[in-house]
Amino acid sequence: MIGDGELLYERVIRVTHVYLGPAADRFIARQVQNHLHKAPEELSPADLLQLIDWIRIAVSLLTEDSEIIEEYAGQLERLARPAPHTKRTA
Amino acid sequence: MSKLTQALKYYGILALSYLALAMLLPANHAAQRDYHLSSSAYHALVFLVILPLIGIWLGAFYSYARLQQYSEAIADTSQGDDFQHLTTGFQWLAWGSAATSLLSMALNAIANIHPGFIGFSIIVVNYASLIVPLVAYSYISTGARGLNINAKISISGYGVKALSFGFMLLGVTFCFLTFRHLNIDSLGSTQNPYYLPPWLIILTIIVPYLYTWFIGLLAAYEIYLYGKHSEGVLYQHAIRQLSFGVIAVIASSIVVQYLRSAIPRSGHLSLNTILMLINVIYIFMAIGYIFLSLGARQLRKIEEV
Repeated sequence: MIGDGELLYERVIRVTHVYLGPAADRFIARQVQNHLHKAPEELSPADLLQLIDWIRIAVSLLTEDSEIIEEYAGQLERLARPAPHTKRTA
Repeated sequence: MSKLTQALKYYGILALSYLALAMLLPANHAAQRDYHLSSSAYHALVFLVILPLIGIWLGAFYSYARLQQYSEAIADTSQGDDFQHLTTGFQWLAWGSAATSLLSMALNAIANIHPGFIGFSIIVVNYASLIVPLVAYSYISTGARGLNINAKISISGYGVKALSFGFMLLGVTFCFLTFRHLNIDSLGSTQNPYYLPPWLIILTIIVPYLYTWFIGLLAAYEIYLYGKHSEGVLYQHAIRQLSFGVIAVIASSIVVQYLRSAIPRSGHLSLNTILMLINVIYIFMAIGYIFLSLGARQLRKIEEV
């Protein structure tokens, strides 16, 4: 689980929804189960880069538009970076 | 055997049966007399005339099988039932079109030998041609409605107004063209090209056709809305291809039904402008089936990778 009580898995789905709409959750669940061999909810930040590689391969089978593939991978890579510290001290 | 192979196998059987009937049944005397044809020239002409229709069946069977593959891939999801309804609708269109054509050819052949049978033949073919789209569009409409309800998409005011206007034009011109062939002064007379009394034509042909076309147009509009408002760049691209296909197939099949019912059947081969027009519409229908197949294939691919 990462910030805001939201699972990393759910954040990945939210990003994926922009590209795959209602098929997003099924797509991510398949990638995690088939390639990382774990339950989708168990997805951890350590798995993310490997998952992105698999997603890049999978999406390249759906479109030849490399701009879309790189944009999607870039959005997911952002989730791998630690969230900026926004809390200010008085 | 995959669903696609199975559908194509059935298509092959139906297409070969239709070709065999067209080539083996005796030449129609009225058509031979009208166009001064020998028996072999008649059969060669019939072969050329039915070829585009057999091509359309291929598109219909191939695309419903593709849609079926996608429906099965998402059967457990919230959209599963809706896509299954769409599939069933297109399955009805494919099978129904083939069955009606086979039935028509067989009954017309009997009427060729027994002229007293022509009325019965035309009545049966007219009703069969009505029942198929009625059932098919009902399924497609249920599927399209379900997709929009799931995606929380509602029909807009302008869209409904445009749809109502288009339907009103379609209905009024259809009634005008149909009534030209009827003797309104004698409501019980069957002396018309439909072989039915006018009151029965109004109640069991005109009204059901208008209802069928309305739900067909509504389904096409709802599929358009779903394609327009669905989310996901790659998903939307696939669903838009599919929705264009659905709209093109429904619109062109409505036009074909319109022409075939407003201009009464003769029960034999007629080389006229209507036949030419229907072949032009078949091109548009074929394009629709191609888009429907491409969209369904891409959607299934999304569920497979």
